Amino acid sequence: MKNKKNVKLIIGVVVIAAALLYLVISSTLSQSQYFMTVEELKVGQAELVGKNIRMSGVVLGDTISYDPQTLDLSFEVAQIPGDHELIKEMGGMSVVLAQAAHDPTLPKILVHYNGPRPDLLKDEAQAIMTGALDESGVFQVSELLLKCPSKYEAELPAQSK
Amino acid sequence: MFYVGLLTSFLALAASAAAFILVVIALSRKQTQLSGAAQLLTKLGFLAHTAALLSLLIMQVLQDYSNVYVVSVINPAMPWILKITALWGGQTGSLFFWSWMISLCAFVAVTGKKRLLDNWSFLVVCLNQILFLGLSLFADNPFTRVWALEDGSLVTSLFAPQVGAVVEKLNNGMGLNPLLRHPGMVIHPPLLYIGYALYMVPFAVGISTLARGSQSEHLLDQTRTWLLSAWVFLGAGIVLGSWWSYDVLGWGGYWAWDPVETASLMPWLASTALMHSLLLERRRNIFQRFNVLLVLLSYLLVVFSIFVTRSGLVNSVHAFGESSISIPLLVFMFVLLLVSIVLLVWRWKSLNSEWKFGSAFSREALFLYTNIILIALVLICLWGLVFPLINGALTGVEMTLHRGFYDRSTTPLFALLVVLMSVCPLVGWSAANLQKLGKKLWIPLAAAVLGLLAVFLGGVRQAWALGGIFIVILGFATLVYLTVKDVKAVGLTRFPKLWWNQRARYGAWLVHTGILMIALGILGMGNLAASIEGTMVPGEKMPLRGYEIEFVSVSESFENPEYMTVSAETVLYKDGKEIARLNPAQHIYPDREEYITIPDAHATLRGDVYTLLAGYDVDVPYITLRLSDNPLVNFMWIGGIFMTVGGTLAATLPGKRSEREEEAQTVEETLESPSAANL
Repeated sequence: MKNKKNVKLIIGVVVIAAALLYLVISSTLSQSQYFMTVEELKVGQAELVGKNIRMSGVVLGDTISYDPQTLDLSFEVAQIPGDHELIKEMGGMSVVLAQAAHDPTLPKILVHYNGPRPDLLKDEAQAIMTGALDESGVFQVSELLLKCPSKYEAELPAQSK
Repeated sequence: MFYVGLLTSFLALAASAAAFILVVIALSRKQTQLSGAAQLLTKLGFLAHTAALLSLLIMQVLQDYSNVYVVSVINPAMPWILKITALWGGQTGSLFFWSWMISLCAFVAVTGKKRLLDNWSFLVVCLNQILFLGLSLFADNPFTRVWALEDGSLVTSLFAPQVGAVVEKLNNGMGLNPLLRHPGMVIHPPLLYIGYALYMVPFAVGISTLARGSQSEHLLDQTRTWLLSAWVFLGAGIVLGSWWSYDVLGWGGYWAWDPVETASLMPWLASTALMHSLLLERRRNIFQRFNVLLVLLSYLLVVFSIFVTRSGLVNSVHAFGESSISIPLLVFMFVLLLVSIVLLVWRWKSLNSEWKFGSAFSREALFLYTNIILIALVLICLWGLVFPLINGALTGVEMTLHRGFYDRSTTPLFALLVVLMSVCPLVGWSAANLQKLGKKLWIPLAAAVLGLLAVFLGGVRQAWALGGIFIVILGFATLVYLTVKDVKAVGLTRFPKLWWNQRARYGAWLVHTGILMIALGILGMGNLAASIEGTMVPGEKMPLRGYEIEFVSVSESFENPEYMTVSAETVLYKDGKEIARLNPAQHIYPDREEYITIPDAHATLRGDVYTLLAGYDVDVPYITLRLSDNPLVNFMWIGGIFMTVGGTLAATLPGKRSEREEEAQTVEETLESPSAANL
């Protein structure tokens, strides 16, 4: 009797554990997302088509095109480093963004988004984009987040004096 | 004010340190009773801490722009209420505020009738006080001032950074982040913090219980009120936060599985499990080990959550960003974890581990299943948060799990929980079996089938939504059915008294009703919502389901000194008839180069018809509008209220097994017996 109960218990535990593991592992495999810089995306382009990617880059103001009727929005972003330490060494995010926006040697990529044009979308803004690369090499954005250079300025307001 | 604040805050720290030393000395002499001096120090420390907090508040309200924190969150145009709440609007202030919450809890623990007076618990409390206040004062002092050096440059420092430097009072501050100016955001952080801080005391008692090796019956009596209050505040805080994000962030979402959100859910899940197994320990004297484990885990998860929010290690939109306090916090977290594990291993054998079940369908067993699921959810959340770190360390590839991971892996578990919640109240203690369950189930089951039919005829066809609605109605019907049965058993006149005496039980039912409502809201948003986006010129209409929205006009106004208001006038029609005028708007802060969207919704119990102004041009004129139909969403907020009220009711019941409760239990047994008898 006791043994039988134990066997039942063990089977129960194993079944539950297996179900849980399956859930977690399969979800991890199917729902993970790569953090990438523009450069890394360009290098690995061929294998990355269709993968879920989160990418950060600086918006190039001249390349923005937007159609308010169809809500089609496209622009180019240029490479900024993904490493916080490196950005700090280079003088902070606002410096990095300003430099990157005017450096023609940096890798660039065209991105496309369908939705209302965010007010914060302008030259030198940092765009954090979630989406996937399509076959033609355009990054199709599903989620677009923008941060303004001013956000990174020092704590003390410059106009204070 | 600067000197008052600085002096009192350091006095508070000194008082905690002195109390800590007293406690250590007492412990080395094997005294377990907390001395009067230590109690007094704790009280004085709290008073000093409060004085320091008030001085910071006064500086905020009086706009002392020589204070760096005031400069970073205040500006002259803000209303006074926001000048106060800006206390928790930035990293520096909120850390100080959090350390004050810890002090408050310590103060409450040594005052009042049910005082907590043992040295081991207090050792833990003092350590927490010293750590958090110390972090606040030494790593990120809220009283730091702006100084002008002789060459005219500005620096921030607590004291004069060099000879000749003078305190510089700026003319203006930057003001509070517009996103944080919503009533939900005004009370969400304090609620969350109170909840978090309240978990500290049960944790301390848990550590003390293990250290002293005393039986944990003590544990549950002392901590019940603390735990329930913590649970209520944390739950209310989470729901408010999600209401805020629905109402302010503009994307119409309420929960994004962002790391900070996920981290705040973890202690809630763990302590929800604790609520259940504590009840079992009380009733059946089982699960003792499990309970001690969960008490410790709840607060460890709180510290983990604070770490996630403040360390900047985990990428999140809510996180404060990188800060200097991450390393000390990490060390503290691991010390607490290590101490907990060592103590648990040491005392494992002496903890009561009786483990007796009548059957696999008894209420005990269902409680156990509930808890397994809750713990599994905690583990999934933990995995989701640490996976990017582990993966990054192992492979060097930066990767994260986005919300799809959580949606996919937790949905089946949450669904199972709701099913268990629906049937659990019907199952008796110990001696239940499937047959008995079936006999009681048929009335609620019939109600659920009828409800399902009604929803189906109402036009809902999605299988998931139908299944979910069926389960939720089953849960509601069960609770209604049981309440009616109770009323019948004691008579309508005696029922209010029974209800009050047994408010732990009925409180729990209210909580369950609330959770079912939240489930309904999630179901509506997850499976039944729809939206459309488009650009319109005046007179143009956009259809969504049975609704139509017409754009009338868009205008700019400058009533508020800080921002420009852009407001669109729209008319909402249902089946061709006008039902509401909606004015979605944007507030544009030119100085900050920021804007926030102010959605407008036609809200009913059926759900929201929600409009969001996404873009505009006053000259053309046109607007880009997002129109969403969010069925059942308001049940989420109503459910939150039910949950809070129910939890509060249960928390007011005295912790000790009083005679009254014994009596109440007899009543409950008589209530349960008729159904047992007629089988």
